[in-house]
Amino acid sequence: MSGVTVVTGAGGVGKTTLAAATAVGAARRGESALVLTVDPARRLADALGLEELGNDPEPVPGESNLWAAMLDVTASWEAMVNQHAEPDVADRLLANPYFRAIADRFPAAQSYAAGEEMSRYIESGRWDVIVVDTPPSAGGIDFFEAPANMRNLIGGRLLRWITGARLPGRKALYRIAARPALRLADSVLGGPLLEEIADFFIDLRTLHDGIAARARHVERHLAEATIVVVTTSDPTPLREAHRFFGSIEAPDLVVFNRALPDDWADAGPSGFEGKLGMVADKAMEVWGTEAHKGSRVRAEFSDRYGVRVVAVPWMPTPPTDTDSLEELGRALTP
Amino acid sequence: MLDNRLVVVSGKGGVGKSAVTAGLALKAAAHGARVLVIGMTEPLGLAEHVGVERLTYEAREVHPGISALAIDRPAALDEYIRLQLRVPRAAPTAQLTRALTVLAETAPGIREIITMGKPVFEVWASRWDHVIVDAPPLGQLASYLRAPQAVASIVPAGRIRDQAMAMADVLNSDCELILVATASELPVNETLEAVALMKAESLVPVTGVIANRVVEPLDIAARTVARLPDGPHRGAVELHMAVAEDQTTWLAELSPTFTIPYLFGLLTPYEVAARIGDLLEAA
Repeated sequence: MSGVTVVTGAGGVGKTTLAAATAVGAARRGESALVLTVDPARRLADALGLEELGNDPEPVPGESNLWAAMLDVTASWEAMVNQHAEPDVADRLLANPYFRAIADRFPAAQSYAAGEEMSRYIESGRWDVIVVDTPPSAGGIDFFEAPANMRNLIGGRLLRWITGARLPGRKALYRIAARPALRLADSVLGGPLLEEIADFFIDLRTLHDGIAARARHVERHLAEATIVVVTTSDPTPLREAHRFFGSIEAPDLVVFNRALPDDWADAGPSGFEGKLGMVADKAMEVWGTEAHKGSRVRAEFSDRYGVRVVAVPWMPTPPTDTDSLEELGRALTP
Repeated sequence: MLDNRLVVVSGKGGVGKSAVTAGLALKAAAHGARVLVIGMTEPLGLAEHVGVERLTYEAREVHPGISALAIDRPAALDEYIRLQLRVPRAAPTAQLTRALTVLAETAPGIREIITMGKPVFEVWASRWDHVIVDAPPLGQLASYLRAPQAVASIVPAGRIRDQAMAMADVLNSDCELILVATASELPVNETLEAVALMKAESLVPVTGVIANRVVEPLDIAARTVARLPDGPHRGAVELHMAVAEDQTTWLAELSPTFTIPYLFGLLTPYEVAARIGDLLEAA
């Protein structure tokens, strides 16, 4: 079995980079490592040799133990349907516009597909370490809720909403669709839209048993994973980081990215005269205040949740190769 | 900027959209305009930037001339059914609500026109000079702006279609988009893609590209800095210069129409919004 680390947090905090750094670190310590990423910046993708979108893990150029894969949500969904549905149902579903819409924009769908991919790689046993970068929806939290949400969706929660009853068969459903209330809906909607959607959900429901069983596997893997929440000391990502506590399995580590050294917080004047002194004091005033804010926020976090908190120094330019990723990764290991 | 009644503010997540939305509202209100700000997806950020703890679906005055509300999906759906689809109160709407809830989660465009319906409805209500929307982040923005067409393509006739077409009219004739970015790779690239997409699909004109949190270069040579001993001062100056240099590259790519400096220090979100409002006003 592989050791799994899930790196999550709000968008824009550097979690993709930190996920890559974690995998590079493991690989260079001699473990075989896979990083599963979602939407890396160009320079990071280049560093990982990911210039082409590929669902399958590819070895990272120049590294003997490191693989990288980029999640392709649409492809994962198609694979999932082909695996769990009868062939004719699968064809019908894949051609259905509602199915496309769900796969494209239902956030749980994207997160669930990422979880499925993760589980597939874990179960293959090919890697010692798997690092997963979560999709950028709802601050990362819905990655953990996706298996349950998927079971509900496929299990006909919405279908029951339409009919207001337990799952009916196709015939019964058409009887329900002829009810006056639904005819009012049709007159407003301007067509037999609900019937079409009901047909779609009946097809979708045939996937239920397969997906429900898979979802439980995904949940088990998530429960066993090391969870790393990445944030900065800015209010928006901080708010997301707080949401992880109390709503899911408690995170194992909170990483404050773009942190400044603690001794910047009260450095005082530089003692230099002239222009250099002025520039130094101005820069110190500005960044000293930020350093002060950062260390206060980190202390609040570890006091409140008793979680391990790590500060990763601010790198003005993001890592562009595996060496600088390894260096960044060192800041994460105790 | 601020030439249309509907003003949509978007950007990649975490770049300071809500702060800029609040700043734009403060600037407009300073000129005596009646302004409504609407939080679409994550209303907490907008709430703190207009200086209140939380926002409700009922518009509430948060500052002289500025009212604010947050979209609440069930409330928006109810209002959509009654006011926009004009289903009488006495009609049995429980089934319709259920049907639309299902549609909102499956059919393309429905969820978006229900939520975008609120700002457009407020434009129609004519109580405001500007309705400024703290819109969903760039990843979801296009699906909101394309929603009327998406709905038209799946709903052949009826009131939902009519309403979607009326919404498209507002988006086409009385709406502008302001994009916010920070000066780094992903926000800049995603913003440029959004600008190109708006043009290619003639969705909504982009009237402003705002660079946020821009660090001003320090006017000093690197060899002068080298005279500082190792320690906090040297570190701070070098970090400042490196950040400024990296940002310069991305600013050149972005070519923003307006730049907001990094507002350092221990300002509250409301103070940040007020400073942004002053900066926009001074321009």
